[in-house]
Amino acid sequence: MSLLPLLLAIEFGENDADLVRRLQKRDARAMAELYDRYGRLVYALILRVVRDGGIAEDLVQETFLRVWNRVQGFDAERGGLGPWLLAVARNRAIDYLRSAAGRMRNAVEVPETDHPAMFADMEKELFNSDRVRRVRVALQKLSENQRVVIELAYFEGLSQAEMADRMKQPLGTVKTWVRTALKSLRDELGTAVVA
Amino acid sequence: MTCNELRDYYELYTLGIAEDAERTEIGEHLERNCPTCVPGVRTARELISMIGAAADPVQPPARLRKRVLAIAGGQKSSLWNWSPVWAAVAAGLLIAAIVFNTSAQRASRELQRTTALLQRLEVESVAQVRELAGLHEALAILDQPDARQVVFGGATPLPPRGRVFIDPKRGVLLLASNMTPAPSGKIYEMWVIPKGGKPVPAGLFQAGSDGTALHILAGPVDVATTAAVAVTLEPEAGVPQPTSTPVIAAAL
Repeated sequence: MSLLPLLLAIEFGENDADLVRRLQKRDARAMAELYDRYGRLVYALILRVVRDGGIAEDLVQETFLRVWNRVQGFDAERGGLGPWLLAVARNRAIDYLRSAAGRMRNAVEVPETDHPAMFADMEKELFNSDRVRRVRVALQKLSENQRVVIELAYFEGLSQAEMADRMKQPLGTVKTWVRTALKSLRDELGTAVVA
Repeated sequence: MTCNELRDYYELYTLGIAEDAERTEIGEHLERNCPTCVPGVRTARELISMIGAAADPVQPPARLRKRVLAIAGGQKSSLWNWSPVWAAVAAGLLIAAIVFNTSAQRASRELQRTTALLQRLEVESVAQVRELAGLHEALAILDQPDARQVVFGGATPLPPRGRVFIDPKRGVLLLASNMTPAPSGKIYEMWVIPKGGKPVPAGLFQAGSDGTALHILAGPVDVATTAAVAVTLEPEAGVPQPTSTPVIAAAL
């Protein structure tokens, strides 16, 4: 499995602040660097959610358009550019899934989950290969049901009630799986996140 | 709720699956820069971000880079009026031609080439400004909380597919891919179809060479009385009523 996108993210990680400043000055070359740095991560995430290459391309374009138009509100010194991009990408993709399935649009999308100000003071090398490998290992250590609920929440944006319907399980059981899974991930990865 | 009671909900909040009560509470703590909840949610956000970064790597198609870079290309031209710049460049070229070319014929050719270059750059500049205006309008519609989204063509790989966003205040935004470029003398025409009424013309557009299209009908739309948005292939001057079978039909 290629870790090239992650390695690229690490390679250029130290220059995110400079890149943000250039994006804020509307430097078109900065957009090219932003795409080269994070485009594959964004595409992989969106494709994982929507499972359709053509739709994923549209949503990647929407993601970068949204970032380009909102980058003025991003703190170049403190912001976590990669996590912000992934949050915008996830919201775009889940919004599409909800729309395609006739579900309500994500009502908490913009102000609470992908506003640039929410990504201040994040770890600069969050996506280095070692950390991502530890995430994969931690996910593999979860029980099948715990892993499924985390994936349904993250990659499909299902609420806990929707997960209960999908999995034909009592809501209380699903909530227990979610909380246990998140605690396990926190315990496994806590040092990776705050290191 | 106290910060201590909220700790277990930070990841749920970040995932967007916290219940309303906890979501509201955490939102309020963040709003007042709570010294416990702000760093707590930040750590949760880092954890959740890493789940996304752990998705299996996939190589995107090369054309996607071009599509993304087009965003910045349009913006660049909006902040600078390049025509005077290029005019100055053209003037420089013209002077150089006169100084260094004793042949009047060569100078004339330079002048013609420079004029053609200037005209082409001006045309491109106007096109980029228009494209930028369209992108800004598109973003404005996408940002509207009341915008309704309809997906079309999602189940079939070949016909046009994409989404229609309808906002009662800003208008209708059509985003499509897999479109065949309109043949010579033809153009795509969008229609807003009211319930029980005749289709209303909603503008003409062409698909890009990569099969993508973005078209906007700006202005208020009565979403409640709208049954569908459709697109037909028509003569390039446009027609008052559709004359062909829709290539796109998005029922609300």
